[in-house]
Amino acid sequence: MKRDDTMSKHVRNLLLAVLTLLPAAVMAGPSGQALSFTCAGCHGTDGSSVGPSMPAIAGMDPEVFVDAMKDYRLDKRNPSIMNRIAKAYSDEQFKEMAWFFASQRLHLQPQVTDAALAKRGAELHQKHCEKCHEEGGRPGDAGTLAGQWMPYLQYTMQDFLSGKRDWPRKMKRKVDAAIEDDGADAVSALIHYYGSQH
Amino acid sequence: MPRRIMSNRAARLWVVLLTLCFNPALQAALEQPTGGLMIDNFDPETGKRIIPNERCLDCHGDEKQKTDVRDDGTPVKIFVHKDEIEASVHGKQSCNNCHVTIDRVPHRKAPEVIVGCIDCHRDTWVQYKDDPSGKHKRLKVVNEQIDSYMQSIHAQPNSLDQSRTNATCYDCHEAHNVGELGSIQRAEKRLKNPEVCGRCHEEQLKAYRTSDHGKAIFEKGDSESAVCSDCHTTHEIDSPETDKAKLAITKNCGDCHEEEQRTYFDSYHGQVHRLGYTNTAKCYDCHGSHEIKGEDDPTSEIHANNRLENCRVCHEDANDNFLTFWPHGDADDKEKYPGLWFFKVFMQALIFGVMAFFWVHVMLWLYREVMDRIQGKGFIEDMDKPDIVYFRRFPVAWRWIHGLFAISTMALILTGTTLIFSHTGWAKAVVVFLGGPLMEGYIHRTAAMIWLGIFAVHLAIAVSNIWRKRGEFEWFGSTSMLPNMKDMRDLRDMFKWFLGKGPRPEFSHWTYWQKFDYWAPFWGAAVIGSSGLMLFMPEKTALILPGWMFNIATLVHAEEALLAAIFLNSVHFFNVHFRPERFPMSTTIFTGAIPFEEFRHDHSLEYERLVASGEINNYLVRRPSRRADLAASFITSVLIMAGLALLTLVLIGLITSPS
Repeated sequence: MKRDDTMSKHVRNLLLAVLTLLPAAVMAGPSGQALSFTCAGCHGTDGSSVGPSMPAIAGMDPEVFVDAMKDYRLDKRNPSIMNRIAKAYSDEQFKEMAWFFASQRLHLQPQVTDAALAKRGAELHQKHCEKCHEEGGRPGDAGTLAGQWMPYLQYTMQDFLSGKRDWPRKMKRKVDAAIEDDGADAVSALIHYYGSQH
Repeated sequence: MPRRIMSNRAARLWVVLLTLCFNPALQAALEQPTGGLMIDNFDPETGKRIIPNERCLDCHGDEKQKTDVRDDGTPVKIFVHKDEIEASVHGKQSCNNCHVTIDRVPHRKAPEVIVGCIDCHRDTWVQYKDDPSGKHKRLKVVNEQIDSYMQSIHAQPNSLDQSRTNATCYDCHEAHNVGELGSIQRAEKRLKNPEVCGRCHEEQLKAYRTSDHGKAIFEKGDSESAVCSDCHTTHEIDSPETDKAKLAITKNCGDCHEEEQRTYFDSYHGQVHRLGYTNTAKCYDCHGSHEIKGEDDPTSEIHANNRLENCRVCHEDANDNFLTFWPHGDADDKEKYPGLWFFKVFMQALIFGVMAFFWVHVMLWLYREVMDRIQGKGFIEDMDKPDIVYFRRFPVAWRWIHGLFAISTMALILTGTTLIFSHTGWAKAVVVFLGGPLMEGYIHRTAAMIWLGIFAVHLAIAVSNIWRKRGEFEWFGSTSMLPNMKDMRDLRDMFKWFLGKGPRPEFSHWTYWQKFDYWAPFWGAAVIGSSGLMLFMPEKTALILPGWMFNIATLVHAEEALLAAIFLNSVHFFNVHFRPERFPMSTTIFTGAIPFEEFRHDHSLEYERLVASGEINNYLVRRPSRRADLAASFITSVLIMAGLALLTLVLIGLITSPS
């Protein structure tokens, strides 16, 4: 029955599009988009952030987005301001916003990186991080690392390492292993690797 | 996925399609995939994350890291063979089609292995059972196996932990390596079967390893040898204590050991078993089960030194003579069992000879009487002068003897032929009706005792009669039952009459066919009675006779009984009841009296002799009362119906006989 409903909606949309020759997207009511307007101030237009300490959320995994928003709402993740913002939305609205950002393309800004560190970071990533942060940390179910703003990554790693934010399952073990390999430079190398990607 | 987004996406799609229609020039530009958007990783219908198998195999397919550490620090095996999965019947399935609880990668919490095979196989079969490509036809078997499994002991809640079943699909089927029919995986799986079962059934595996079956599997890699599932079935597994399992195991032994099963089913043990009962010796009662070995192995249960112990489980007083019993004696194997073969050939020649002769006799007689009646000849009742005078042919004692003899014979035929024809549905139904093989045995033996008792009483009466008349009794005279030369001449003349080449012979007190009917039970009593007594008391019999006498006794008892069953219920019935002059029946054996005119026609020489000697008046009686006539007709009808029913069952058994 669901399929039939969907089909009839398609037919309806087709008829409307033919009749008015107007983009159907306008008529569909961009609720997620409307909700997301408020995010643009910090996270940039459609989530492609231009401020270095502000994470890009365009193309973000929608479930990771919802997880993050719920954590903010519960004052987890060492929030600065997001905890206050998150409390204003319902689960359904989180989902709407998540789908909106998941539908956007991530526009990356070039960042200044140390090539040698980035190279070493690539090796560390491959050894310790790739299984979760697949394809060099491209957006996925483990978040967005590739091309992410380096200062943001720096803050986040500090939060993890200082215990201000809970480690995701298994991550501490992996980060510890990377630090055991390369000492204090390990995290920095990884961040340069992620920042070096476009 | 939220509805608004879905509508939004669908609407965009339509716009794109419309634009394509109106502006083909744009096609090239739009061929660039929309891939790269995060939402493409989610199913537009359900909104659920699409997790490609490669994503799972990033971790679970890493040969360098086949184990991981659980949150509590314990190691856990996580490795699966990518190649095996892809080569398996499920190679095209997504991992989380089965691992339905996995919705996030990396897993946010330690995943539980919750896999249900049944719903998917059932739903897929329902969906594709009419698919003409036949690609999913194997699912039919899979669904049958599911049904069997659900009834099996493996699908029952475990007694130590009721939250789980005793075993489930993937305990036996290597979850990621289910091969197609005829694939290498399946051949390998067969060889691994004992070890898979042995994970739980350790004791049985240990014993199996020492068996001939196990050695062939483990030492020679011979996949033709029997593995657990060959005997215990794959999915209909039941406790070996149940009749269902016992019957299945015997059947399954026979899948490979066909000859041995055939010969087993010829034995009393096998006949009862084939009726669906397990109280007699089964394959593994003698051969052992998991530790089964050849007879030359001194540790084998069927080694000459160990065999008697198994006999004594049931036959407590079995002596050494039991060892010479042929449990798989084959009457068709002249080389190995010449004695048994001889008896079979002899008995079958006897059956074929007697039946062929008398059926020809019946057919010709029928032909002649029909032809005579058409021509208005023969004995025809005069409706204007109904018989009021009867001839007293049988005294009361003989009438009772015949009645009890008929009933006990029929009881013996009914109960005995269920064993001979244990392959038939009717035999199984009769045994159930009678209350099982033990009750059937009691009935058979009781009837046999009555039968032999009557025979002895009759013999005593006959001998005393002859003794009383010892001065004047003519052994080969017209009133004697002993065959004489006149019988031979009568037989010849009857055939001449049948063929229209002479008159109907004149008979004295007994006709030759009546004499045959009389003497046949003498032979039968000797053969059936003596063999029956041997089988009745095996331990006593073995005190004086070798064990192979049981084989011969079983064979001749059955063959002779068949001959009697067929002869009495066809030839005897025709001679006495069904030939046109008598049809539909003669009640003389129950009333003791025969209509006078009929007597004069059938036994004219005796009539003339009695008239000449003046004794005729001694035998004339009044017509039986209407009530006596009705009673005799009723009893005769019931016995004829029962006899014909038995004949039908016997013929069904013979026609459908597997050997």
